[in-house]
Amino acid sequence: MMIKEVTIFPGYDKEGKKECFEKVEIYAGQKIGIVGQTGSGKSQLLYDIEKLTQGETKTKRKVMINGKKPLKELKTNPSKKIIGYLTQHMNFMTDTTVEDFLKTHIETRGRNHTEENTERLVEKIINDANTITGEQIKKNTNILILSGGQSRALMVADLAHVSESPVILIDEIENAGIRIKKALELLVKKGKIIFLVTHDPILALDTDKRFVMKNGAISKVIHTSVREKGIANYLSWINNYMLDVREDVREGKQVEELKLICSPMG
Amino acid sequence: MKIVIFGGTPGSGKTSIIKYVISELKDLKLHYVKFDVLSTEDDNLIKEKFDISTEKRISGDVCPDHYAALEIPKIIEKYTDKDVIIIETAGLCLRCSPYVEEGIAINILNILSGKPSSYGPLLTHADIVAVTKGDLISQAEREIFRAEVMKVNENASIIEANGLSGEGTIDIAEAIIKSPGIKDKLTLRHSMPTAVCGYCYGNKIIDSKETLKRYERGKDLKARLPNLNCGKCGFKSCNEFIRAVLDGKAKESQCPFLKKR
Repeated sequence: MMIKEVTIFPGYDKEGKKECFEKVEIYAGQKIGIVGQTGSGKSQLLYDIEKLTQGETKTKRKVMINGKKPLKELKTNPSKKIIGYLTQHMNFMTDTTVEDFLKTHIETRGRNHTEENTERLVEKIINDANTITGEQIKKNTNILILSGGQSRALMVADLAHVSESPVILIDEIENAGIRIKKALELLVKKGKIIFLVTHDPILALDTDKRFVMKNGAISKVIHTSVREKGIANYLSWINNYMLDVREDVREGKQVEELKLICSPMG
Repeated sequence: MKIVIFGGTPGSGKTSIIKYVISELKDLKLHYVKFDVLSTEDDNLIKEKFDISTEKRISGDVCPDHYAALEIPKIIEKYTDKDVIIIETAGLCLRCSPYVEEGIAINILNILSGKPSSYGPLLTHADIVAVTKGDLISQAEREIFRAEVMKVNENASIIEANGLSGEGTIDIAEAIIKSPGIKDKLTLRHSMPTAVCGYCYGNKIIDSKETLKRYERGKDLKARLPNLNCGKCGFKSCNEFIRAVLDGKAKESQCPFLKKR
């Protein structure tokens, strides 16, 4: 299904006051940040979007797809689900290898994949995951022993290739152990809409706009400035540098040389 | 009147989910019953929090699902003025399900508690499967789990629920409101096991002769008792009375309905 537009109609904050906007429109290809203090209603907003709510959640918001009320099927049928959700926790419980896990997930999604196709897709997911994390994931690694960074990287690549949802929700994907901007690039393929709850400035300043949450409501919509995007680039550079040094330390190398940052806004 | 039966293993989050469901249904006249084996305080907590009528039923020596089947008609008779009777079962073994055809059956299923294929009628005979604790694992594995649930119960609506945030409970409440009311007799969705042996009658010694002796005496008493669980003997159930007689703690004459040999 092609998603051109997601529209959010206002609901009520924790004290029953109506949110002060008429509607918020988000178009295909946009990245939306959701920021705010703990308990300000960030996760609830993601939940409303995931539910494609029509006023039945506690905020009473309404979410329209392409300007229309979404069909119920979009919420209940997993193969028609238009929303992919990357949640905070990425633990696994099944005792299996990375390869078999991905194969099962591909099967679950129910698309007609030939065996050869599946093999290739699994390979691609693992390769992409390995560009996000410094700690290499192998096909035959047991998923239960993946590190936090590896799990996050694998689930980002899985979301990008297996789920293929046109709308993606990301709930505080932590920075630790992954190249976070690279991860996002993998997800933002042409035409996708991304909502991301984050405290991470690299991510928050790299969006098209960001919602500032307060007391359960969207209190402000900030359009990200060019300067902010530049700052995001700079911070991302630092983060990647940290990861490189981290890998060097892990591999037992001595770190003597300091990379200096030449053009911060470049 | 509608009857809602919640089933699920201990620790699956039944009570937390039910609390949210009750607050969603607050415009209706509700009665909440908690079945448990040894003890529970949930009935008092819910009464205090929501100011609705509640009660507990402790099964003791009887299988809690058997006990629930025996007690539910009595509860319905007593609370005819209510709109919805919410029953939370003890949720122990996976052999039975306490669900009735005429009411709505909701299984609260902890995503961390093993493969859906190893669950019996508790899962396969439910109208709604509310999967809890899904927030602890990856979305990919949640999708796989969902597909596995659909393999064993393709008719159920699967809801991702969370006892802490209340996620999914609106959908459960909505399904309860839409469910049909009960009219006549209730029927179990799945049969109960024939749980009658020397050990059922309270034998503790692992010895075939002793067990057989106990079984013969128990069977004889069982045949002569009304099996109404009326409580006139001072025990909650006929089975408990039989055990007490076999243990020498009660006399046969305590039962006003006992047939003479």
